[in-house]
Amino acid sequence: MSIHASARPAGLRALPGRLRRSARSLCAFMRWAPVRVWLSVAVMGLGQLCYGQVLKGLVFLGLEALGLWYFLTRGLSDAAGFFTLGVQQEDLWLGIPGDNSMTMLILGIFALVLLGLMGTLWVCNIRDAAFTAREVEKGRRPRNFLQTLHCLADEKFHVTALTLPLVTVTIFSLLPIAFMILIAFTNLGGDIVYPRLADWSFSAWEKLFGVGQLGGTFGKILSWNVLWAVLATAINFLGGLALALLFNKRNVRCSRFWRAFPILAYAIPGFISMLGFKFMFSQSGPINSMLVDAGRDSIFFLTNDESAKWWARGIGLFVNAWISMPSIMLMATGILTNINPDLYEASALDGATPFKQFRSITLPFVLFSTTPVLIGQFVGNFNNFGIFFFMRSGVISNYGDYFLASDTDLLINWLYNLSVDNNYYSVGAAISLVIFVITSTLSLMVYVRSAAYKQEDTYQ
Amino acid sequence: MIVSAKKRRLTWRRALDNGLTYLALTLVSLVFLFPCLWLILASLSRSGSLYDIRGFFPSAYSLQTFVDLFTNDVNGLYPYGRWFLNTLYVSGMSCVLGTVLVILTAYVMSRFRFRGRDGVKRLTLVLGMFPGFMGMTAIYIIMAQFNLLNRLEALIFLYAGTAPMGYLVQKGYFDTIPFTIHEAARIDGATHLQIFTRITLPLSRPMLVYTALTQFAWPWSDCLLPKLLLKNRDQWTVAVGLFSMPETHFSRFAAGSVFIAVPIVILYFCLVKHIVNGLTAGAVKG
Repeated sequence: MSIHASARPAGLRALPGRLRRSARSLCAFMRWAPVRVWLSVAVMGLGQLCYGQVLKGLVFLGLEALGLWYFLTRGLSDAAGFFTLGVQQEDLWLGIPGDNSMTMLILGIFALVLLGLMGTLWVCNIRDAAFTAREVEKGRRPRNFLQTLHCLADEKFHVTALTLPLVTVTIFSLLPIAFMILIAFTNLGGDIVYPRLADWSFSAWEKLFGVGQLGGTFGKILSWNVLWAVLATAINFLGGLALALLFNKRNVRCSRFWRAFPILAYAIPGFISMLGFKFMFSQSGPINSMLVDAGRDSIFFLTNDESAKWWARGIGLFVNAWISMPSIMLMATGILTNINPDLYEASALDGATPFKQFRSITLPFVLFSTTPVLIGQFVGNFNNFGIFFFMRSGVISNYGDYFLASDTDLLINWLYNLSVDNNYYSVGAAISLVIFVITSTLSLMVYVRSAAYKQEDTYQ
Repeated sequence: MIVSAKKRRLTWRRALDNGLTYLALTLVSLVFLFPCLWLILASLSRSGSLYDIRGFFPSAYSLQTFVDLFTNDVNGLYPYGRWFLNTLYVSGMSCVLGTVLVILTAYVMSRFRFRGRDGVKRLTLVLGMFPGFMGMTAIYIIMAQFNLLNRLEALIFLYAGTAPMGYLVQKGYFDTIPFTIHEAARIDGATHLQIFTRITLPLSRPMLVYTALTQFAWPWSDCLLPKLLLKNRDQWTVAVGLFSMPETHFSRFAAGSVFIAVPIVILYFCLVKHIVNGLTAGAVKG
């Protein structure tokens, strides 16, 4: 109880205290610090060099030189470009190359990130010098390079191990996402692409939530997206559970043999299945040719015709189930073995029918232990890009005022059409923020639920 | 009398139950098997185009499509052998690098308590909630700045570099390895690096297999990033290549699909136990 009470408000109430404390320790540090530490404050690695830690000092010195070289040659102007997004428009008459707002934005973020990195490195270097100074005060010798390496492999193993993953994630994941978030608040895209200069603005949001064609498409796609996510999750989950129960039935012999078929579907790379189904349902595919041979008209399954709308949506649900049901089945099989068989025996003695057993024992148990997965599935289906990308790529609905989208497109497909294929960068970025808000709310629910789940021991 | 009637009814019900069960099993198996069978047979069809195959099954069979797949690239349009080698290179490299990065991240996050750990946890959580390829435009610009456009290495960096984001499953596995082993080794004087390489890694072979497999499979089937970053046809990966094939080259598509699907399917069947373990571990941890 006491842990709870102190843990929750700590963030807010302790802040001034923490600030005061760190300020005090900074003062103490400044009064204590010997000259050689100050040398490290001034020039990275200089203090280390004076303590005789030549290699380490040189490494720090080299890093500082590298950083300075970068910032002086381009880093500073890059960072300035982040705020201006370009001032010089291309002038073909005078032959002046213009600023490219998009490149400037991303290079600006990059420069700011590097600035932060340099700052961190600088603090690390001061800390290291201070550590050595304390060791020397205690009468010990400064660490030599081998000892430093040993320390990196032992006490500081977590720092060593996490550095590379952190750097790559920052460049390839954090940086692009930060870029897209910021782009949502510019007017980049549409007409405003290179050589025209962009500026900070809210125009994307006004378009998205306005009454124009973009806003109308957004509403239609969002409602279909929610419907799709609910249906797909329900079908996959119930279907996978049904398969697991079927293979688990006591009268099924060689269940491993039967189980091999769904696993086969699971093992085939998803894009192959989706492309295969596209051919199967295509205009000249086997199903239509059989229909024609039987004397009927062929059906526009996946075309951009209005009559194809619900066919394509239904086929999407089917193909999605075909691909994802087996993995749910495998998972449910594992969970079903955890149910205490006594429950079934006892309920059978009390006269429960198999259906009643399913309703009151199996379903609650499975639902309970897979709530996080279920919501994860929902989020996954909400963002299920592949199905309609592979089956209906290039289809733009020719009715009902869809703006660069087809009637089966989910938000994520539309986002792709807009920002990758058609250069509507800011609108695309705004859509991805909408997707983020929806999925993160759902994921937050998982977190709340799973915390409740941890405390809940009654079911096991 | 009554007992035997009841018994007979029971056997009747059981027979009905058996019949229905096996009917359902057969139906389910057909639904899952049929599309695969269709593709395999199409890959063996003698005529190449979808228009020439009436109904589901081709009328004449030959192995010619498989030979054509590697020998005849239709004036450089479909150099499948090249695509295959590209994919193998990208997948192999990102499998090795990605597995190292994921395992390191997961191990540190599972075993160490350090300042900023919660920050890292929260950061990956939040980043993971953004739609996957939201930053594609940015990635294109970044790769252009690094001069990595039209190079397979760009893909390797991307796949391996973003792999640590999905460390939760592996962390869940490391959490289950008892801490006491760790402490015992510590008392015996092992460094953290030694504990990691000599104790943890050998103990977590199933997780290594699962991780390597998922890291290998992802580049293998991704179509978006190669499509974005590789412009020359002979640099494509198999996924992009197959995506580009029209209906007139249907058996080529089928043959290409079968050729890469068969090894993967065999691999999955050999490793199905590990995969199920990985799935359920992911299930518990969320």
